[in-house]
Amino acid sequence: MNKIAFLLLLFTIFNPSKENNKQQYIARQGQVTFFSYTSVENIEAKNNQVLSIIDLEKKEIAVSMLMRAFVFKKDLMYEHFNESYIESDLYPQANFKGKLVDFDVNLAKQTSTIKGTLTIHGIAKEVAIKTMIENKNNNYKLTGEFIAAVKDFNIKIPAILSSNIAKTINLKFRFQYQPYEN
Amino acid sequence: MKTKHFFKILSLFLIISVNVNGQDLLKQLQKELPNTYHKTIGTFKSTRIGLGHSVETRKKGALQLSLYNRYWNKPTATSQRFLADEVTTRYGLDYAFTDKFTAGIGYTNFDKITDGFLKYNLFQQTKGIKKMPISITLVQTFSHISLINANNDNFYDSNASEKYGFASQLLIARKINRLFSLQIAPTLVYRTETSVASNDPGTHFALVFAGRHKIGKHTSIVSEYGYVANPIKSVDTFNTFMAGINWEIGDIMAQFHVTNARNYAEDVFLTQTANNFNFKDPNLHFGVNVTYILHTKKNKVK
Repeated sequence: MNKIAFLLLLFTIFNPSKENNKQQYIARQGQVTFFSYTSVENIEAKNNQVLSIIDLEKKEIAVSMLMRAFVFKKDLMYEHFNESYIESDLYPQANFKGKLVDFDVNLAKQTSTIKGTLTIHGIAKEVAIKTMIENKNNNYKLTGEFIAAVKDFNIKIPAILSSNIAKTINLKFRFQYQPYEN
Repeated sequence: MKTKHFFKILSLFLIISVNVNGQDLLKQLQKELPNTYHKTIGTFKSTRIGLGHSVETRKKGALQLSLYNRYWNKPTATSQRFLADEVTTRYGLDYAFTDKFTAGIGYTNFDKITDGFLKYNLFQQTKGIKKMPISITLVQTFSHISLINANNDNFYDSNASEKYGFASQLLIARKINRLFSLQIAPTLVYRTETSVASNDPGTHFALVFAGRHKIGKHTSIVSEYGYVANPIKSVDTFNTFMAGINWEIGDIMAQFHVTNARNYAEDVFLTQTANNFNFKDPNLHFGVNVTYILHTKKNKVK
């Protein structure tokens, strides 16, 4: 009885988790860029350290990034972004968790819709994002872009600066995944 | 008995392993986040608190154009001017040579003082795996006055034609929380001009206390108090006080305050402020500092 129990124990600890990981892929240096275009000023920022995991078995995806890692053209914009708009001391991360809705594992290149919850500035919002998924030698690449409204995430722009910052922000992303080993 | 015990442990492990497998991807990502540290930003919004320097320096390539104004009324009954009888304006230019080193010059029209400063950010407060509880910035200012009797009283030997003053400051600041920051600045003031007859000290030790509290995303209230340990003996001088509001509008920083200090050069206002802080004319000065930040060097985003 003891031996069986012991074997069972070993099995439960080691086996299922390993099997699970085989279908997981990670991107450690994902890129997210955002643009705000107005006639007065163009604001552009890039984050090169975005983390993402996809689980092809469950068809799930998660993205996590540190807001402080965004690089701006002007240093003052970085300070204002973190201090006055995104409040990165209160909300250090932006996260996304979603499902690959119409994803087919067998295709090398496809456009799939990702539906999920995007959390920025502590506000969660349901979004659907069209994404190009490419598979080359078991390395996946996800690219796409979408538009987010500033006011959806409770980010207030003072009236005096409303002509400098766009009401909708254009976001572009690009993730390159490798098999995930724990 | 033993078997029962073992099954307890087994079921515990089962629960744990199920948890690991069922763990969501976001939690898994949190473990992958790099273990780093980051520099505390925005201890103060501007490189000046109101009167004196703050621990902040601008990033490399930033050019700051500043216009500081202070208005006050004369106590005489003949005062008939609109808003204010007198105004003193400092025209300033600062340039950040590196992220840590800034130099600046300025000229004030009322007291005809030309001043300059060198500023170096020695330590920056950090959070994360590398912890630094405070920020430290060194400031060296120098001023030259070409006017006799800058404050309309007898600080100066009327024969002296060259009057230099220097102030060395050690700015120590801490952003205590996201809203509140404090700064303390031990300061050494050295003046070349001392009246022989008055037996005034040429070297003064001062302590400048400053704080800010954010009241909105773009506004904060600030205050500053300068204590001088060994003031000038020949004339009554007062410690300086300032209370005001800082408001940032994009590339422009506007600072509004009330103070008893009339001069802008550190060595002058710390040791030679002839007015006490109160609301009587001519003691109350209303100050407006406007600073425009121009980025001459831009980061590559692509």
